[in-house]
Amino acid sequence: MTSKNSQFSNKVMTTWVIVVVCVIAVLGSKQFCESARTRSQSVESRVKGDEGAPVRIMEFMDFQCPACASGALYLKQFMVEHPRAVRLEMKYFPLPMHRHGMESARYAECASRQGKFWLFHDYLVERQTQWKDLIDARPAFMLMARDAAMDTKQLEVCLRDKSIDAVILKDKAEGKKLAVTSTPSYFVNGETAVGKSQLETKLKALLNDSKK
Amino acid sequence: MNLYVLIRFFIGFLFIFSGLEKLLAPYQNFLYVIQSYDVLPDGFETAAALSSPWIELFLGVFLVVGLWTQWVLTGVRVLLAAFIFIVSQAIIRKLPLTECGCFGEFLSLPLPVVVALDSILWVLTVFLSRKIEIVSFMSLDNYFNEKESKSAR
Repeated sequence: MTSKNSQFSNKVMTTWVIVVVCVIAVLGSKQFCESARTRSQSVESRVKGDEGAPVRIMEFMDFQCPACASGALYLKQFMVEHPRAVRLEMKYFPLPMHRHGMESARYAECASRQGKFWLFHDYLVERQTQWKDLIDARPAFMLMARDAAMDTKQLEVCLRDKSIDAVILKDKAEGKKLAVTSTPSYFVNGETAVGKSQLETKLKALLNDSKK
Repeated sequence: MNLYVLIRFFIGFLFIFSGLEKLLAPYQNFLYVIQSYDVLPDGFETAAALSSPWIELFLGVFLVVGLWTQWVLTGVRVLLAAFIFIVSQAIIRKLPLTECGCFGEFLSLPLPVVVALDSILWVLTVFLSRKIEIVSFMSLDNYFNEKESKSAR
């Protein structure tokens, strides 16, 4: 009986040792991973909002993702209602599962080079349902470029420029370093929020804090 | 080493991998996955996102080292049943989810494949529970049991 009790205590002791070792190992690794996550400089053409705004948001998005469109429309409305509250920076994170993810980012980056990024961005998200299921969405992108009064000849040259892909992939690599796996992912004053619902919760909390 | 032990190791490492992948990323990533399944009330979503990766990790570790194996297998079965329910309801409700989000960015599986995989694992854990003596080969349970019988002699 004593031997049985002693073996049971040994098992419980071993359990605690395993639990403590696991917790220390995971928390240590997590700390290491977080310290390795660094952010790059902003690209001015893809930034909007008051420079002194108390809320800084960095957004990683894929233009073909429906949740990104919903998040972008919400953010746009929020920025209209609270014009001095938010400074938003947008980064590309095209997902391989989206056929037009990369292509739409290329057009957006070319719009950025003509100083029309946000206008084109808004067209892409507002009209997403019209182009996301197309086999070839390029005519739809071209139409949006014309609506945004972009120089289409310059746009065609830009689309052939390989450095466009490099810009997009650099953003995506930065997102991966920051542990972005889904879109839309936001960094609100440095804190992660994934999806519109988490963003809403964070922004509401920040607004309430600022009112206190 | 026998097939049952190999299956025990396989399920254990799968749970360790799945738990670790979620624990090392910001918890908001997994919270987003849970929110996408739209099955838990708001307050519980965060609690589930914070706790379930730890549960997965501990179940996996205890299964690999073979400590409290019978209890751990029951825990694994409960968790697998929960996964099967959550993913199935998403399929039935036709939620706009293209992949499960179970292994983060490392492995992307469509929902029906996840239900099939989890169901197979669930059946395997039932077999393991029934053959617990064979499963306990190369386990801490076995080590403590042998120690106990030696000291009883």
